[in-house]
Amino acid sequence: MNRYLLTALCLITLLWQTTCALAMTGREVYEKVHELRQKALDRQTTATLVLYDKGGSTRTRSLIEYSKKADPEAYKVLVVFQTPADLKDVGFLIHARTFADRDLWAYFPEFKRVRRIPTTSQDDAFFGTDFSYDDFGGPPNLDDYVFTVQGEETVDGKQCYILDVTPKVHRKYTRFVAWVAKDLWIHLKIAYYQDKVLYRAGSFTDVRMVDDIPTSFKIHMENLTTGHKTELTIDDIKYHTRFPDDLFSQRSLERAGR
Amino acid sequence: MKESVFVSLLLLLVASVSVHAADSISTTGRISLRGTGHIDHEGANEDPDLTARLEIDARKTLWRLHAFIEGGWDGTVRDQPRDTSLLKDLTHVYQDNSPFAEFKELYLERGIGNMEWRIGIQRFSWGRLDEYPANDLLNPWDYNRFLIKSTEDRKIGVPSVSVNVNTKDWTCQLVWEPWFVPYRLPDPGARWSVVPAGSALTGNQEAQITAQEPDLPARTIANGSLGLRVQHPGMIDWAFTLFHGYDPRPVFKTTTLTISQSGEKLRIGPGFEPSFHKITTLGADGATVIGDWSLRAEAAYTFARTFNVRQELWGYPQVLEPGVYSLNPVEVERSSLDYGIGADYRLMEDWLLTLQAQQTEIFDRPASLYEKERETLLWANLKVSWLNQKVETSLNVAYNPEHGASMVRPGIVYILSDQWKVSINGLLLDGPPQSIFGRYAHNDQVEMTVTFSW
Repeated sequence: MNRYLLTALCLITLLWQTTCALAMTGREVYEKVHELRQKALDRQTTATLVLYDKGGSTRTRSLIEYSKKADPEAYKVLVVFQTPADLKDVGFLIHARTFADRDLWAYFPEFKRVRRIPTTSQDDAFFGTDFSYDDFGGPPNLDDYVFTVQGEETVDGKQCYILDVTPKVHRKYTRFVAWVAKDLWIHLKIAYYQDKVLYRAGSFTDVRMVDDIPTSFKIHMENLTTGHKTELTIDDIKYHTRFPDDLFSQRSLERAGR
Repeated sequence: MKESVFVSLLLLLVASVSVHAADSISTTGRISLRGTGHIDHEGANEDPDLTARLEIDARKTLWRLHAFIEGGWDGTVRDQPRDTSLLKDLTHVYQDNSPFAEFKELYLERGIGNMEWRIGIQRFSWGRLDEYPANDLLNPWDYNRFLIKSTEDRKIGVPSVSVNVNTKDWTCQLVWEPWFVPYRLPDPGARWSVVPAGSALTGNQEAQITAQEPDLPARTIANGSLGLRVQHPGMIDWAFTLFHGYDPRPVFKTTTLTISQSGEKLRIGPGFEPSFHKITTLGADGATVIGDWSLRAEAAYTFARTFNVRQELWGYPQVLEPGVYSLNPVEVERSSLDYGIGADYRLMEDWLLTLQAQQTEIFDRPASLYEKERETLLWANLKVSWLNQKVETSLNVAYNPEHGASMVRPGIVYILSDQWKVSINGLLLDGPPQSIFGRYAHNDQVEMTVTFSW
């Protein structure tokens, strides 16, 4: 009897230790997310954004995003609008020296001048959409956040970690909650809070594997304060593009990446 | 003649590349209908105008062809136009054709390694400041509807050859303009014209003033303009520039004032005409970000720039009577330094404040100049977007403290859809008659524009 009890206790202890070893911390989850986002940095994306206002009218923008993993720099991104005519060839450029330190430039063909933008604008609305400039940047600096696993939930049939993410530096949001798909390591849902008020929420659907990289082809973002919504659809995406550095120069920004 | 051949050749190229370009062709355009309501009824009237612009970009492998055409009916032209040709030319200061068409840009580009060559009609944007960038000297301006148009819209495209050499850390741009292209001025009597103040010519409704078209400098290689700009991006983006060529800022020389009687009207040859002078300018500019501020600055030293003396010294008679009058020399040559600093600050999301302060210092300034030894221009612009950037309001204020001249430009743009937008802009100007804003003090107005773009 004692022998059975001892074996059961050993098994329980072993199971408990294994569970502890397998359970991930919030930071570990985001390291996985970060790893995947780094892997996905060399890419070209063509996307369409449809903006829905509260009254039901819509506006459409299309853009091309080029990005590159850059050593010793963290990454470079160039985003250029294709439509509407008013925004055609408007672009912005990011040079991230590290994930925490980056330079931003914008170019408006109407003024024919490249303008530097403070990084404090990164949480502002991206050209009237419900996305922020930061949503089009590369992976964040993990040291700037505190990650806490709050639980698990199934979203669109995929098991997710629910994480509470609090920035250590000043941001427009005081925290956000992210649903990160286990094994895929991408967001399936996100909710931004200013103190206790949920003001912006997004969902990531139509997940497909492209070159072994899980990619959400449809992102829906809503501003819950204004009722304005934006739907981003990826029309085309290519990974492992290995663009030359020239593409990410101010000259290239002026020339809309051409 | 040279221009017609040049433009025809480029048009042929546009056509052939457009037909054969397999890689890509993109076009964008817009049509605008604009009407002006006058607040101050002393200014000359203006009709509604309808203008269109079309941009075409065609590419084939390393070749690119870019055309930017603007045209339509110009509401500022109210009298029978003297010039009935459709195409605006690059040889006349006074052009009043309506309908009109103009190639703002028309060039062919070819990339070779880290170099890009462009040949054709081009516009350049050098310097960093929003208004009057001191190093932006390669394109002369069209002063018709001055202060209403943006700096880029004022620019006249010039035939030129440019080469960009791009390395990892440097960009070097060399521009050669083989032909002299003059600035454009509105006809005397038109809404945005400037005739010498302090004379009987000003505001005399009974007089018909006929502008005197100047003789242009000979079209020789020696009279071309040359510009060099070296840029280096980094924590501070900076650039050095060198310009040698004709000063794009208008100055006048006096000729002979002729007044004759024609029926009940006086016909006046105003006794001044635009004059053109070469300058050499050395400049530098930079931009950086400090905290929440985006900062930019530039300075340009110009050797021997020509200024006009105060207009009361031009020698105009106070009473206009038929006759021939000789006028006084009005040009003075001095070196000057233009410098300024600008800053953008985001007050909150969708609230952008832009500030700019700039000064011109004239060395060894003679007392005969209207400009003070140091002239200052202060600008402030607040732009606020509403309803996810569907509505944009702006308030632009400028002040010249030396002469107490000011300008206020409030505006609102409503974006109806991806294609349609409506804008309403006001303009209030004040100051002494010779000051930068006071010279247009009768042009207070509100204008409404409906734009369709594709």
